[in-house]
Amino acid sequence: MSRFAFTQAPIDASSLAEPLAHDGAGGYATFEGRVRDENEGREVVDLEYEAFEPLAIAEGERIVEAAMRRHGATAARCVHRLGRLAVGETAVWVGVAAPHRAEAFAACREIIDEVKHRVPIWKKERYAGGDSGWVNCRHGDACHRPEAGFDYSRQQALPEVGAAGQARLAAARVVVVGAGGLGSAVLPSLAGAGIGELVVVDHDRVEGSNLPRQPLFTVADIGRSKAEAAALRLAAYNPGVRVTALARRFDAALAAEVVPGADAVVDCTDNFATKFLVNDAAMRAGVPAVLASVYQYEGQLQVVRADQGGSCLRCQWPEATRDGLVGNCEQAGVLGPVPALLGQLQATEVLKLLLDLPGQLRDEVLLVSLLEPGMRRLAAPRHAGCAGGCVRLPGEAAPAPPAGVDLGLPLAAAVRAGYRIVDIREPMECAFEPLPVEGESVPLGRLLDGGLPPDPERPVLLVCAHGVRSRAAAEFLRARGHTAVWSLEGGLAGQAGAH
Amino acid sequence: MPRVRLQYYALLREQAGRQAESIETAARTPAALYAELAGRHGFRLPASQLRVAINAAFADWESELRDGDEVVFIPPVAGG
Repeated sequence: MSRFAFTQAPIDASSLAEPLAHDGAGGYATFEGRVRDENEGREVVDLEYEAFEPLAIAEGERIVEAAMRRHGATAARCVHRLGRLAVGETAVWVGVAAPHRAEAFAACREIIDEVKHRVPIWKKERYAGGDSGWVNCRHGDACHRPEAGFDYSRQQALPEVGAAGQARLAAARVVVVGAGGLGSAVLPSLAGAGIGELVVVDHDRVEGSNLPRQPLFTVADIGRSKAEAAALRLAAYNPGVRVTALARRFDAALAAEVVPGADAVVDCTDNFATKFLVNDAAMRAGVPAVLASVYQYEGQLQVVRADQGGSCLRCQWPEATRDGLVGNCEQAGVLGPVPALLGQLQATEVLKLLLDLPGQLRDEVLLVSLLEPGMRRLAAPRHAGCAGGCVRLPGEAAPAPPAGVDLGLPLAAAVRAGYRIVDIREPMECAFEPLPVEGESVPLGRLLDGGLPPDPERPVLLVCAHGVRSRAAAEFLRARGHTAVWSLEGGLAGQAGAH
Repeated sequence: MPRVRLQYYALLREQAGRQAESIETAARTPAALYAELAGRHGFRLPASQLRVAINAAFADWESELRDGDEVVFIPPVAGG
């Protein structure tokens, strides 16, 4: 039985609950979301749900699986209605069975929150006044209404996009750093695709020498802030997109302000110092980044899947890579279409990852030469030292792991340093005091039975309440030949004073 | 002697005056090969500032070269 499904028929909660029953399940929690008679002050008569099912089902399955694993639930299911629904009808149903109530509640809550947040479902509301509107409401977010006249039908006609994909784009927030040659291509393409919010960062002003390869600007813009001129132009092009202009230098403080919470960040800068900043901010926030650089007739593109533990810019280029080593556009020259093409490739990769399209670049560098002309994909795996060297905060040296099993550091720093966090507490304990960071739940009994799936790429950090069980477990695993295993010193209780 | 196919990018393409070439070499590693080519083409960038890829994957400078390998030398580029 699938764990996430759509149905056109009314939801019958009792028949859905039946298959979840299990003698070991002492707790059973359900949630029902129903059609309300009002939205944003308007009286709703009925509504219609639409989704691009293959994409939405795959996402829904991932959500239910993850919640079950994280909370130790024995069974779970989520069903969402499609088609026309009257006020009061059940739109979505979640049921979870678990050994105890705490896990059941926690998993049920996570599933409904994540489904509302991540599964692209497009909703058409019919109001008392007779009019109607398609809305995509992410949980707690403002609704996005496409601008009249801006017609996405050609893009939506793609079977992989559809109304659901369009809704996903409308709910996305993308940060573009640099409004130069690359940005001139990236920004209109993303605005045209219907990205909900674009944040444009550039502290420079438009110069005459920019214009040949930066058609985002006109001669009338010379001397104006690039970020502001770009925002004005994009707002006129597609008023349905919210554009925020930040005419500031992209530094660590600004990065910390705009990158966390973004769906993607696009590096369109022209120097290594800023490229490393973009890379590091994305890695720290777990936000995917699409980076590109150009030189004369060629370019390089890299997609950093910081959200999936992928390789990053620092895996390819050492700390010592400095600006001035090879010329930039000003010194070495550049042919206009080169940044335009690389920028279009960046925009395409952003759309691919937002829409979950096939063929996404990951752990690769794409070399593009327009003289040849040709493209070459080079495998660029995560550097062995990446865990220690790639994600380093200013003033925070990556800890060299000690030889003994005890590792004393803040959990968040361990996550940034690339440790695989494994919570060995019992499900009950986890439910009462959830792990403060992303991690896997493998209760001690299961761990000792060989229940930790191996991942040779990442060192393991075991976590328990006080660091006693995790130390014993780490020593046990080391005796079995797992060398890259540590125990969080002092456990979660010892984290109170750790920063 | 093993024959390798070479691809040059960015500054190296400029200095070599070509995008690609095929050569026979006694070099056993990309490091030795780059030193040989630096002499021939006047490459000024030190190998420590470059990356090398063999047969479509980034590789170590000390990996072993084989007959028929495609070797790509990649300088860092930052233009935008």
